[in-house]
Amino acid sequence: MSTIKDITTLEDWAQHLASLPPTTLLIISFHAPWAAPCAQMATVLSTLASEYPVTEPPSTSWVAIDAEELSDVSENYNVTAVPFLVLVRDGKVLETVSGSSAVKVRDAIETHAKGTSASAGPTVNGTNGIAASVEAKEVNTAPEDPVKKKEELFKRLGDLVKAAPVMLFMKGTPSEPKCGFSRQLVAILRENAVKYGFFNILADDEVRQGLKEYADWPTYPQLWVDGELMGGLDIVKEELASDPDFLKSYSVKADVAATS
Amino acid sequence: MAESSITESSIKAALEERLKATHVKVQDMSGGCGQAFTTLIVSPEFAGKNSLKRHRLVNAALKEEIAQIHAWTAKCQTPEEYQKEKAATGGNDGPSFEGTSGGKVEGVSQ
Repeated sequence: MSTIKDITTLEDWAQHLASLPPTTLLIISFHAPWAAPCAQMATVLSTLASEYPVTEPPSTSWVAIDAEELSDVSENYNVTAVPFLVLVRDGKVLETVSGSSAVKVRDAIETHAKGTSASAGPTVNGTNGIAASVEAKEVNTAPEDPVKKKEELFKRLGDLVKAAPVMLFMKGTPSEPKCGFSRQLVAILRENAVKYGFFNILADDEVRQGLKEYADWPTYPQLWVDGELMGGLDIVKEELASDPDFLKSYSVKADVAATS
Repeated sequence: MAESSITESSIKAALEERLKATHVKVQDMSGGCGQAFTTLIVSPEFAGKNSLKRHRLVNAALKEEIAQIHAWTAKCQTPEEYQKEKAATGGNDGPSFEGTSGGKVEGVSQ
């Protein structure tokens, strides 16, 4: 199973690029430590990477780059927001995915990893993408055993709920909540200056249904603290009513002194 | 979207039977469509359980119902807590309507 390599210097980057055979799909993940969605994306990517075996020559190569530290590289690939994914093969950019949609990221990687984009146009439009992954599924050697799939999903969820000390699984995003209860919970977290990671369950149906089973909890939003389910909106409100300081240790104010 | 067959009284009955609830107030917030409910549930079964455990008890008791409806809010209290709050708030013991629309307007007194 493949793992993600952190590239921290320009020398490392140059060396890595030079070492890649022309058939390898290079998956570059640009991130920033202060951006909450990047933690979520890192988890999504490492889970994906683990599904790809290490081959000789390598079929995939996964790297993570801090977009601000290595700003030259970011400029090279026109990275304007994080998280940002760039897929490269033989020095050519095949596709980029901006933002934190796990579905888009997974689709893009799966499409190009099959290496069927050799023919026709360089860009992947809707139909090409779908055709490629349909073909690929037949050649797929990974077991489609439902028990194994569920185990993998649960493992992925286990990592996801720990992606940040406070994780909010909601409908929509904090800037665009798609449900009244999710909106209220975001407001509560903001009022209490809580630092949290979020996951938009509308963007990933596997997580949406899987998490209900994993958590044994039927509804969203769900707030997880230190890897454990805290509950939904009413529970969070009740806890705050009985102890207004209960989220204090997760607030942004805790490390104000450390920032410039 | 079709209406669900779940009503305020069906939920109340289920809670009284499955959770030995001594006092239940259920409000259909979806204008009668049986899609969104806010509830107050008072039951001695909640004693000694934290918030999460109480809600899990309710979730288990109303598993099928909750799976069918779109929005669910519950306030779970033991009889003692309920009495205390009733005394403190002068009889304002209803389920929470915060943040909902289409239900009662805030500030309307019974």
